[in-house]
Amino acid sequence: MAAKVAEEWLNICGGCEVSILDIGDALLDLLPQLEFVHMPVLMDHKYHGQTGEGDPHKIEIPAADVGIISGGIRNEKEKAVALAMRNSCKTLITLGSCACFGGIPAMANMWTLEEMYEKVYRGSKTTEKSPTPNKDLPPLTDRVYAVDEAVKVDVAIPGCPPSPDMIKEALTCLLTGKPFTLPEKSVCDECPTKREKKAAGGDIKRPLDGMTFKQNAPWEETRCYMEQGYLCLGPVTKSGCAGQTTEAGEAKVPRCIKGYMPCRGCFGPVKKGANPLVDMMGAISSIGLKPEQVADRRALLSRYVGGQGRLKPLPAKPAPAKK
Amino acid sequence: MSQQALAKPLDPSEIQNPDPLVVAFCCNWCSYTGADLAGTSRLQYPPHARIIRVMCSGMVHPNLVIDALTKGADGVMICGCHPGDCHYIDGNLKTEKRAEAIKLMLEDFGLEPERFRLEWVSASEGPRFAQVMQEMIDGVKRLPPSSYKTG
Repeated sequence: MAAKVAEEWLNICGGCEVSILDIGDALLDLLPQLEFVHMPVLMDHKYHGQTGEGDPHKIEIPAADVGIISGGIRNEKEKAVALAMRNSCKTLITLGSCACFGGIPAMANMWTLEEMYEKVYRGSKTTEKSPTPNKDLPPLTDRVYAVDEAVKVDVAIPGCPPSPDMIKEALTCLLTGKPFTLPEKSVCDECPTKREKKAAGGDIKRPLDGMTFKQNAPWEETRCYMEQGYLCLGPVTKSGCAGQTTEAGEAKVPRCIKGYMPCRGCFGPVKKGANPLVDMMGAISSIGLKPEQVADRRALLSRYVGGQGRLKPLPAKPAPAKK
Repeated sequence: MSQQALAKPLDPSEIQNPDPLVVAFCCNWCSYTGADLAGTSRLQYPPHARIIRVMCSGMVHPNLVIDALTKGADGVMICGCHPGDCHYIDGNLKTEKRAEAIKLMLEDFGLEPERFRLEWVSASEGPRFAQVMQEMIDGVKRLPPSSYKTG
């Protein structure tokens, strides 16, 4: 019997759904075992009965064995949908960094809702000033929440976008009743680049600024990007983007590293609850780069993990004391 | 050094936080012994510090400092051996580099710079320990209670 799957997208770009498609040939093998009963990205399924005959205060999501949520929670409707998903699904998966940690939209958590409205509708130079829209719209929540802040989540698949291999792996594990967990390892643990000496010294370089590598040369000949002076979030980011299953003889290479770019940190903190900003600043200073050269530290180092209380508006500073 | 040489008492009108909590990480080889000396010499310093002995100031990861500050401490001080005196050769130089990162992060967490301090205190500097502790606690008393303080 096919497992029933409900998929919901909340505050999201749609990239996670594309990742599901990106599973490729293997998806064809999986599909007979899956029956999608609810998926707004593909199917026109209404929340209050197909012609609106249902209870307008109750969100109807058909019962399913597996629920997949992509995207964080930005407004009250999304919160209600997340709750309804939890009630309808036996196992709930959060797919992608937005659902797992708040993601890119959670960078808005650095400001209060009022400040954000002011900037978006009135503060920007290119915007025609207008009042904040409030008619027929679900009110925004006070900040962006990760899904696991609102409901209990059973499996988390991070990534921006998540790796198709990992989605396949997680679905296969669920179908066969095996647990799916990610090891508490950092990207550096899996990275095959060559490390020479710890202290790099010198200035932090911009990602496109003269990285030395030989394309298609063995990875053991490419020097660690961090040692070359680039800000790579590998040390504080969970591993796994390289894929858990590789064919024999093929080195696991984290995806950004494979593209000759430093890690951006989309898999979130290595340990649950850690703050990559603090860990990374410690790492930068320990290996001899200059921490003061990191531009826009809060946003850059918490780019994907602003939910779960990691990014907050700063407390108002009291007036400086007289000297 | 006599008691009179220590910092002047705070003016009561300046005190915004009469009962602060300061966490002091002291290295086993110099500063903790220095603190011990301050105690056995019966030097007076405010009672608001909680001293945590660590083997080397270089093992105090920025995590620990930021965690302390965001979970209720009003101030954090790291005390280590003077540069060149580290029992582990260069642990305190690592501390110095990390302290730069910590100072930057105070800003990111909306904390005042007075809430963190790195000081070198050798095993023979009991009076200096009492003095830096007095200065640190006076500085924290001048600030309102930490915005992260709960309950």
